[in-house]
Amino acid sequence: MFLFVLRRLVGGLPTLLLVTVMVFALTRVLPGDPARLLLGEEATPELVAQIREELGLNRPILVQYADWLWGLVQGDLGRSIRGNEQVAPIIWQKLPTTLELSFFSLLVAILIGIPAGVLAALRRNTAADASVTVLALSGISIPNFFLGILLIYLFSIRLAWIPPSGYVEPWVDLQKNLLLMLMPAITLGTALAGAIARFTRNSMLEVLSQDYVRTARAKGLEGRVVVYKHALRNAAIPVVTVIGLQLGGLLGGAVVTEQVFSIPGFGRLLVDSVFNRDFPVLQAVVLISALAVFLINVLTDLLYAAIDPRIRYH
Amino acid sequence: MKQWLAAVVLWSLGGQGLAQTVTVGLDADPPNLDPLLSSALVDRQVHNQIYDKLVDLDENLRIVPMLATSWRVEENGTVYVFTLRQGVKFHDGTDFNAEAVKFNLDRYRSAPGSRRSGELSLITNVQVVNPTTVRVTLKEPFAPFLAILSDRSGMMVSPTAAQRLGAEFGNNPVGTGPFKFVERRRQDRIVLARNENYWQRGFPRIEQLVYRPFPDDDVRVANLLSGAVNIITPVAAKDLAAIRNNPNLTVNNFPGIGYQGIWLNHTRGPFTNKALRQAFAATIDRDVVDRVVFLGTALPSNGPFPPGTLAYDKGIAVPKRDLALARQKLAEGGRPQGFSFTLTIAPGPVLAQLAQVYQAMAAEAGIQVRIEQVEFGTLLDRAAKLELEAVAVGWSGRPDPDGNIYDFVRCKAANNYSGYCNARADNLLNRARTVRLPEARRDLYSQITKIIQEDLPYIYVYHPQTTIGLSRRLSGIPVIPDGILRFRGVSLGAQ
Repeated sequence: MFLFVLRRLVGGLPTLLLVTVMVFALTRVLPGDPARLLLGEEATPELVAQIREELGLNRPILVQYADWLWGLVQGDLGRSIRGNEQVAPIIWQKLPTTLELSFFSLLVAILIGIPAGVLAALRRNTAADASVTVLALSGISIPNFFLGILLIYLFSIRLAWIPPSGYVEPWVDLQKNLLLMLMPAITLGTALAGAIARFTRNSMLEVLSQDYVRTARAKGLEGRVVVYKHALRNAAIPVVTVIGLQLGGLLGGAVVTEQVFSIPGFGRLLVDSVFNRDFPVLQAVVLISALAVFLINVLTDLLYAAIDPRIRYH
Repeated sequence: MKQWLAAVVLWSLGGQGLAQTVTVGLDADPPNLDPLLSSALVDRQVHNQIYDKLVDLDENLRIVPMLATSWRVEENGTVYVFTLRQGVKFHDGTDFNAEAVKFNLDRYRSAPGSRRSGELSLITNVQVVNPTTVRVTLKEPFAPFLAILSDRSGMMVSPTAAQRLGAEFGNNPVGTGPFKFVERRRQDRIVLARNENYWQRGFPRIEQLVYRPFPDDDVRVANLLSGAVNIITPVAAKDLAAIRNNPNLTVNNFPGIGYQGIWLNHTRGPFTNKALRQAFAATIDRDVVDRVVFLGTALPSNGPFPPGTLAYDKGIAVPKRDLALARQKLAEGGRPQGFSFTLTIAPGPVLAQLAQVYQAMAAEAGIQVRIEQVEFGTLLDRAAKLELEAVAVGWSGRPDPDGNIYDFVRCKAANNYSGYCNARADNLLNRARTVRLPEARRDLYSQITKIIQEDLPYIYVYHPQTTIGLSRRLSGIPVIPDGILRFRGVSLGAQ
């Protein structure tokens, strides 16, 4: 088990190296000069040239890459072009916010998605099944942006129950923190819930038709025990796969949701750094996101073994 | 569940935060709070609360005393002698005096990467005469000098803090202004607190000022409507009705000092031909643009200088739409059947709508406009290289007329996106910045405006106004046309 994890982590290093190359190359092919953008209205050719020199943008690309990589190895993510401050503290400030949002969104998604999927599978081809399918499809199809604005309109402006946007750290005011997370988590979570419900339903249907489920029922076990203990656990593997994949996608979905609810997380940092061509921040955000997706994958593999004792890693 | 409801109820009863906190919704997160390195317009919203300037502007854009109580202009406009306010201290306790002024002006002139060096390039010497007197010498007479000191170049930062913090100063700014910097969380908030020792007794009136960025128009207005913020700037025209319909809110209009329009490239494409430039310009109906796109909140433009500014000449008419003239000019330009060109714009729903209005107007004269939306950084890059046939980029404006024209239509100027070069116009532009008499300057700028209306490096279409939406509880916001909200005298009434 330990060896497996170690092997996976070490095996991931070349992938991450490849990611650094891609990230670096992609940021550099983006049109638009960061120095010009930084100067905005104030741009004169002399000043642009001076800033490019200062930022080291005139050096050969390979030198810039090597420089960045060398910094990375030493734990130095560089300096933000736009804000003129170290990148690492910015990342550490933003990451927990997005992780919290992802956690609550996933919670919403699981709490809605799995029971809905189970219900649809058990009441197959009934009105309940059809409504779950319709709701799931709506969840997947409604754009985050639209749902977010809709929620703000209803709960913040019409009913004035919840503040429309913002973020308070949980250690400053936990109650306010949770209140502010409610609408973003629902916005992001319902989109995932749809996919989870669909996968749970299909996987459950397959498992429910298996012999051992019939055997369990024949033994006279209570319906609930059969469904939750025997069927759901076996149906969980594909669902966990989907959740794992989506968790990676959550960081992407967070871009829009964070924008709507003015949450100062990773998503907004990403958008801002793209628009301002703030290369050091952009590179760090993408790299950390890639790292997160990679870690989630390893974690998903480990979860398989926890769910299904037949799976063993060596 | 009960607890949740309780939290919700408590929230709605309690209002948000301190009673004396004013929260401002901006359209962007201010990138840099150090005036030395600042290049974004939005920075100035926060700068103006933290820093005082040597001079300020009043409602009519006249220069008024701030940290300088008076000044004398000597040696035919090449020497400015400032008398400074006494007993003023920076937030960190450092004294404000002539040495501090010299430190600041020298820092802006010569610190590496200074974004202010261009504006102050004519200064040859800053001399401390005594602790309350500073003598600034210029290389040549420069009429816009005081107006420039009413903006970032005139903001006084604490020499102690600036020397100690270096490049980090922008993250811990220290000035003499009505509010002190408390904290910032990027993309979330900037918190300022009342400067208890502010030199103007009784000011500021509120305890705390919080800035929050909302890049999306819908999100910004939703936060105002829900009461989460007290004031937003700017307001999109489409959101005006929603704010006006809310009994707790109101809308204020600030006359703007900038302009918006279209650069026409004189070095490539159809607009190398003057008659074709005039043909396209004649298709534009500025009143329709104002009514359809801006719902009456913009002012149709006759040139680079908006009404209310020094160089505005009401004798110059706003060009009217004239399709007959457009057709005549097309024939004159050898393209009686019309022609087509690409208009490049930055992304955004309003800009797209505006471009479509131009497109429809031009089509009636047989001119086909292809609209190309390009991300702003790329657009500036390509515009500066004169790669675009026509590009819609405006200017936020400066209080002195020189700032609205000198770096734009002059031959090879940094922001000249048309490649336009006219020796006569350049000559007038150079004269207009050395003459000090306002009437004489206005006359020169009128001559320049007429030349530009004829040559058309740029079609001036409208002057945007700054529209702000605010709670009726707020009072005391002076309407200064530079669009900066000054919170020194603002108070927050009872709900």
